[in-house]
Amino acid sequence: MRFWLVLGLLLSATSALADVSVVAAVDRNHIAFGESVTLTISVQGSQSGAQPSIPRVDGLSFDGPSTQSSFSFGNGQASQSISFVYQVTPARTGEFIIPALQVSVGGRNYSSAPIRLIVEKGTVQNSSNQTLFAQIRLPSQQLYLGQTEPAQVILYSRADVPLKGVGGFNYEADGLGYKFLPNLKSGSQVINGVSFNALVIDGSISPSRTGTLNFGPCILKAQVAIRKQGRSGWPFDDSMFDQMLGRVEVRDVAVTVDAAPIEVMALPEEGRPADFAGAVGQWNLEVVAKPTEVAAGDPITLTIKVSGNGNIDTVPAPKLGSMDGFKTYDPTTKTTKDDLNTTGERVIQQVLIAKSTEVKELPEVRLAYFDPITRSYKTDVQSPIKLVVKAGSGTPTTIVSGGGRYRAEEKLGQDIVYLKGDIGRVPPGVAFYGTATFWALNVTPLLALLGTVGWKRRTDRLRGDVAYARRTRAAKNARRLLTSATSYDEIQHALQQYLGDRLNIPIGGITASVVDEQLVPRGVNGELAAQAKACFAACDTARFAGGGADLSVEATRDNVERLVDELESKHL
Amino acid sequence: MWNDWLMNWNRNTFRAGILIWLVSLAAAFAGPGDDFKSANQYYDAGKFAEAAAIYERIEPKTAHVYYNLGNAHFREGKPGLAILDYERARRLAPRDPDILANLKFAEQRLGVDEANTPPRAWERFLRSVIESRTSTEWGVCELLALWLTVLAVGAWFYIPRIRTGLLVIAAAGLVGFAGSVLALGYEVVGDRAAPAAIVVAVEAAARFAPMADSTTHFKLAEGTRVVIREDRGQWQFVERSDGQQGWVKSDTLERVAPQD
Repeated sequence: MRFWLVLGLLLSATSALADVSVVAAVDRNHIAFGESVTLTISVQGSQSGAQPSIPRVDGLSFDGPSTQSSFSFGNGQASQSISFVYQVTPARTGEFIIPALQVSVGGRNYSSAPIRLIVEKGTVQNSSNQTLFAQIRLPSQQLYLGQTEPAQVILYSRADVPLKGVGGFNYEADGLGYKFLPNLKSGSQVINGVSFNALVIDGSISPSRTGTLNFGPCILKAQVAIRKQGRSGWPFDDSMFDQMLGRVEVRDVAVTVDAAPIEVMALPEEGRPADFAGAVGQWNLEVVAKPTEVAAGDPITLTIKVSGNGNIDTVPAPKLGSMDGFKTYDPTTKTTKDDLNTTGERVIQQVLIAKSTEVKELPEVRLAYFDPITRSYKTDVQSPIKLVVKAGSGTPTTIVSGGGRYRAEEKLGQDIVYLKGDIGRVPPGVAFYGTATFWALNVTPLLALLGTVGWKRRTDRLRGDVAYARRTRAAKNARRLLTSATSYDEIQHALQQYLGDRLNIPIGGITASVVDEQLVPRGVNGELAAQAKACFAACDTARFAGGGADLSVEATRDNVERLVDELESKHL
Repeated sequence: MWNDWLMNWNRNTFRAGILIWLVSLAAAFAGPGDDFKSANQYYDAGKFAEAAAIYERIEPKTAHVYYNLGNAHFREGKPGLAILDYERARRLAPRDPDILANLKFAEQRLGVDEANTPPRAWERFLRSVIESRTSTEWGVCELLALWLTVLAVGAWFYIPRIRTGLLVIAAAGLVGFAGSVLALGYEVVGDRAAPAAIVVAVEAAARFAPMADSTTHFKLAEGTRVVIREDRGQWQFVERSDGQQGWVKSDTLERVAPQD
């Protein structure tokens, strides 16, 4: 068993090795001069990649690497990776291109995509002498209407000031739609040679009008760890022992960030395509038709995929050319986007049927959009897809939609369904769970179950515990015998039967002496003991002295019944 | 003479009583049904506001009344109110295909179908399961599962031959019981703790504080479904399905379950 498990793991690992890929990324593409970025080169699918050789880039210095490797196994798939992490520090402002980086894995070379890094003059240098400060980081001070761009608010604290989180975040963003993610990213950053802790609030902004708008000012409640008892020197300390011993407490410190001005421009009129419908971003259009060889009347599925950077909600359905030769059905649309709505994908699937063999191609598909990076309009055009339409069987293909019945030209989902003709069932005034019936039906089975369990335990005990069984039935048997007793002999037998059952002793030898031997040691008081002896004596006298009994049979029976009743109330 | 007068009086009184009783009976039986038919006729004539006004006054409202009221509001150009009515209808008849279709269509028309859908798959699944039954149906499910469990446990004591099968039945019943209780609790307690509401204004600004000059956090489109986390009279602290929270003015919302 273990062998097969190990073999399975090895096979999975081997199959994972077959899909090796190298990805290089920096944590930020725009930085201020004086800051550094983290470059991570991840080798997915292997843990044995050789350290990549970093090419020389004028103006950038690379420190590192530190390596991290991981292996995981889930859903029957093994995944492994190794990452090489470098700190990249620019020596000047400007735009840098980190070229494709090569990693050798198992004798084969894999390379990553080039990375663009922009270093601008910033205000961060002035902040590097502060202990706690925050910054707003925008990709650009100029945005276009309809553009959605990431915006970060970053809280910095010096490396010796532990940051525990952000207790509150208030901001002003008049005219700007701002969305932020609740989960903060933490890390460290070197600014002007000083190491800082950093907490990043990721967000995105979407201007809703033109003009100069302000993002901010923002107020963050920084949660910093402070030693409880004052000690000489700086009050913040990140001593591991202090934290372990609970000598630190977390306090809120308000940090204000000044507003960042943003110039929002309207989309230019110049060069605007006639079919432009508001899409802003960098979009890629893909069109696939399947099958491309069909019989007339058979369906063709046209899949149009739009993906890229920007707000996918601004992207309309791409324009299709003339569809004269086709019968069309309602398209289905599936839209996915990231949490900040800065990247997205929309897949539109349209079912078409070529009406005749004259149809030779699907129409071209066009998407016009405005690219805010190049500040120009672009039109992505997918050329017509060639089709081969053969003569069909003459029976039109049924496109099953909704209820499964064929409806030739039916438009589903185009309007609301008509009225109900009858008033329907009147709902009860009181909800069922609020009625006594509901609760009674809930309690009843539980009580029945408790009763069943109790009854079962009792019957089991009666079967297995003779003393308990005799004791339980003693009074009942005695009363039954007394009811039918017509002589002193039968009354005495009933009394003997009762005491034998009650005390779990053989009834054959029970006489008046049983009172002193058994009842008195079990706590039966003197009066009751005397009464028991009197019953025995009365029976013995009547039996052995003939008609000289002091009491009648009935009176003796009553006395014995009373005795049984009183003994029943005693715990023997 | 006196006897004749008395006989006539009794006869007339009896006839009048019968007549009043018949009219009352007719009114009692024909009231909501007549209003419903009358409202349908107004709707067919294109008088949607009049139809909606009549549907509004029908009591008690059935799922069909809410559904038709939603249609009237939709045709009247009040899609937010239409979504509210369809939601109310769905609560009474959760599997009625017409109600579900119109609710979905109205949400799509307003572009709030994605906003009204929980972002996580497990949340969508749970909501679809829980909302597929009314609280009464969940109550019946809970009782059936409880009785099944109790009967299986009770039989377990007395029929040792089939104890394994009874144990499986009892476990299944227990799972059904727990699930039904949770669903019932979610529908009843959840809706009281955080009542659902629909935005009926064209747009509602969700602000950081319950003040008119407070910063707008995000905007809620008409027809958006929210839950009310706090009620401060003029302002409600609401949460959208994606977890975003903010204060909105009370007159921009309508609770799905009307307040007592």
